[in-house]
Amino acid sequence: MAISSSISADGNELTIAIEGRFDFSAHQDFRNCYESLSKVPTSYLVDMRDTTYLDSSALGMLLLLRDHAGGDSASIKIVNCSPDVKKILTISNFEQLFSIQ
Amino acid sequence: MAEADKTGLKVLVADDTDTDRMILESIVKKEGHRVIGARDGLEAVEAYERERPDIVLLDALMPKLDGFGAARQIKALAGEELVPIIFLTSLTDTESLVQCLDAGGDDFLSKPYNRFILQAKIKAFYRMREMHATMLTQRDQIVLHNEHLLQEQTVAKQVFDNIAHTGCLDASNVKHYLSPLAVFNGDVLVAAVSPSGSMMVLLGDFTGHGLPAAIGAMPLATTFYGMAHKGFSLTDILREINQKLKNILPVGVFCCATMVDINFRTRRLKVWNGGLPDCFLRRSASGTVEPIRSTHLPLGVLSNKDFKDDCKHFELNLDDRLYMWSDGIHEARNQAGEMFGEERLEAVFADNVQADQLFEDILNHVQSFVGEGEKDDDLSLVEVRVDTPENIQSKGVDVNYVVDRGLLEWNLDFEVEQTSFRYLDPLPVLLNILMEVPGLRQHSGSLYTILSELYSNALEHGVLGLDSAMKETPEGFGEYYKLRTQRLEELKQGFVGFRFYLATSPTGGRLTVQVRDSGPGFDHDAKMANDHTLEGYSGRGIPLIKTMCESVKYLGNGNEVEVVFVWDNDDDR
Amino acid sequence: MSTEIHIDKDTLMTLKEVMEEEFQLLIDTFLSDAEQRLAALRDCLARADSTGLRAAAHSFKGSCSNIGAPLMAQLCARVEDAAVAGELDGLAPALDAIEAEHKIVVAALGEL
Repeated sequence: MAISSSISADGNELTIAIEGRFDFSAHQDFRNCYESLSKVPTSYLVDMRDTTYLDSSALGMLLLLRDHAGGDSASIKIVNCSPDVKKILTISNFEQLFSIQ
Repeated sequence: MAEADKTGLKVLVADDTDTDRMILESIVKKEGHRVIGARDGLEAVEAYERERPDIVLLDALMPKLDGFGAARQIKALAGEELVPIIFLTSLTDTESLVQCLDAGGDDFLSKPYNRFILQAKIKAFYRMREMHATMLTQRDQIVLHNEHLLQEQTVAKQVFDNIAHTGCLDASNVKHYLSPLAVFNGDVLVAAVSPSGSMMVLLGDFTGHGLPAAIGAMPLATTFYGMAHKGFSLTDILREINQKLKNILPVGVFCCATMVDINFRTRRLKVWNGGLPDCFLRRSASGTVEPIRSTHLPLGVLSNKDFKDDCKHFELNLDDRLYMWSDGIHEARNQAGEMFGEERLEAVFADNVQADQLFEDILNHVQSFVGEGEKDDDLSLVEVRVDTPENIQSKGVDVNYVVDRGLLEWNLDFEVEQTSFRYLDPLPVLLNILMEVPGLRQHSGSLYTILSELYSNALEHGVLGLDSAMKETPEGFGEYYKLRTQRLEELKQGFVGFRFYLATSPTGGRLTVQVRDSGPGFDHDAKMANDHTLEGYSGRGIPLIKTMCESVKYLGNGNEVEVVFVWDNDDDR
Repeated sequence: MSTEIHIDKDTLMTLKEVMEEEFQLLIDTFLSDAEQRLAALRDCLARADSTGLRAAAHSFKGSCSNIGAPLMAQLCARVEDAAVAGELDGLAPALDAIEAEHKIVVAALGEL
C-alpha cells in the first residue's frame, strides 16, 4: 500500500493515488495528503488505477475527505476503478456522493 | 593443429642433389624450423606419413618417384588438411609449371634459392594452413551445432507434443491441423474438458519465429491444462496465461489467441478472441456462417489489471461447426505472391456441399493455392463440431467423466495468536488459498472485503475492545486508529480464529466462513436491529458483506460470526 | 642471358653465412658431386642417352646455380636444352667446356 499525491500547477486540483490495498493502514497518509496543504484545492481526484482492494474503513476515509472538502458542495472524482473496487463503491451507494468514473 | 608458432614448424625437404638439399635445410633451420630430409620421392612420401610436416618442399625431378608423383600421394594422405607443397625447380617452361600445379603444388621456388623469399613463403603458407585448419574446426563446429540443433528441435517437438496431446484434441468431434513449421513458428493448439463438461480449446499464435516464438507455448500449455482440469473458468485461465506471458515474454513478443468454452450439454459457446482472424461459426441448419471477430488485445500485452476478459456468447445447435485458425491460412501465398485471403476462405464455405468435408476442403484449397513447390507450410486450423456428450469419444480423456463427479469438500482452521497481530496480516494468506478453488477466483474482490471486514471487526472490537462510535467525527476517526496501534502494542492476550467450510460441485459452490475472537462479544440482536443509520464514517462493513453473502449471522454471545458465500460457475460477471 | 662470371662471390658469402660451420662440407660435397655429374654426362653422351643426359645436366645446372657458379650453370643449361631437343651431335665440345669451367671453379673454390 502506498499513497501519493500531487497538486495541479494552479493549486486548484489535488490528485491522490492509492496503490495496492486501500484499508485502515492508509489512514494517516491519506489524511496528510489533503490536510497539509497551504491552499485549499477546489477539486479532488482519487486515482484508483493501482488499487486492488477496498474495505469499509477506506469508505470512511473517502467520507472524511468529502466532509473536509465541503460536504455536499465537495467536488471529488474517483477514477480508474477496477471492477472489484467499483462494485464495493456501488454497493455502498457512493455514486450519490462522489463522481465515480 | 599443433600449437606451433611460426618459427617452430616441421618442414620436409626432398631433393636428390645433396648440395641443394644441404643449402635448403640450412636456410630452413636458420629460421628456427625443424627439417626432415628426403632424397627422392618415395622417401618424401614415407617421411610425410611418419612426420606429418607442416610444409613440404619438393624437387620436381627426382629418382624413383618424381616430385609430381610424390605431391599427389602426399595430398591424398593429407586428406582435408591443407599441406602446402612448394616445388623446388629450375624448370621454367610453362608446361612444367602447369604440371606442378596439376600435381597439387601450391607454389614454386627456383634455383638459385633466395633465402628471404623462401622464408617469406614458408610464413605465408603456414598462415594459410592455420587459417584452413581454423576453417575446418569452425566448419566441424557448425556441423556439430547443426546436428545439436536438429536434435534439440526433435526433442523439443516431442516435449511439446507430449504437453499438447495430453488433451482431447483426438476427440471424435474435433478435427485439427497444425503443420510442423507452424509449431516452430509459435502456433499452439490445446484442448481439454473441464469438470463441468465444457470443452475448452485455445489456439494461439506467438509473434516472431523459431525458438523465441515457440518457447512461450510451454507455459501456455501447462497453465491451460493445469487449470482446465481443475475446473477454472475460461476467464480465469486466460487471465492466468496473460499474466504469465506478460511476466516472461519480452516486450514485443505476445500471443494472438482464440479461446472457446463449449458446453455440449447446455449447447452454449463462449468465445474470447484476441488478435486472431475471425472465427467462423457455421450453422448446421442454414449453412450460414457467423464470423466471430477479435475484440481484444493479444495475450501477454496488458497487465492483468487492464486485461479484458469479456466473452461473446452463442447458443448452439447439433452439428454446428466452429472454425478457428491462425493467419497462416489467410496469408498463404501462391507462386505469384498473392495471399489466399478471407474472400477465398469465404468462397470455400459457400461452395461446400458436404459439411463433413469442409475441414478437408479448406486445407485442400489452401494447399493447392500455394502449390506443390512451396515448403513454407505454416497452417493451423481447428474444427469443433457440436455433438451430444454421449457421442463424443476421446482416447486422452473421458469426456463424460464429469457426470459422476460429486461434491468436493474441505475445511480449514486458521488462528492468529496474540503475539502476531502486530506483524501478521492473515488476509493475503487466506485469500491465496481460496483463489486455488476453481470458480472462486473471479470473486476475489468480494472475498477480500468479506474477510477483511470480519477480521477487523474481530480484532478491533473483539480483541482490542475499540468502540466504533469513536469514528463519528474526523478527530475520533484518527483517535480510533491511534488507539488501535497503542492497544496492539500493549496486548497481553487474545486471538482471532477463522474456520472455512468449502463444498464445491462442478456447477458452483458454497463457502462458509466463521470468525471467532477472544473478546466478550456484544448484544448482536439489538445492534443488527438498528444498524441501518449509516450516518457516520463507520458501520459500513457488515451491511456491505450482507449484500455479498447469502447469510450473515452472529453466534453465541456475539464473539462469533458466520457468513455463507455461494457462487454459481455459470454466472458471468 | 650470358655471363662470364666463374664464381659469384656474393652468393658464396651468403651461403657461408647461412651454412656456418657446414660451409666447408657443402663445398666438399659439391666438388665430389661435380666429379660424378661430369662422369655421368660423358657416359650418357657416349650411350646417346638423351633422357639421362638431360636429367644429369638439369640437376648439375641447379646445384651450380645454387653454389654460385653461374657460367658453369649456363653451360649445363645449353647441354640440357640440346638433350631436350634431341640434338646430341656435336655436344662433346660443350662437355669439354663444362670440364674446363669446372677446373676454374675448383681452383677458385680451393682459394677460399
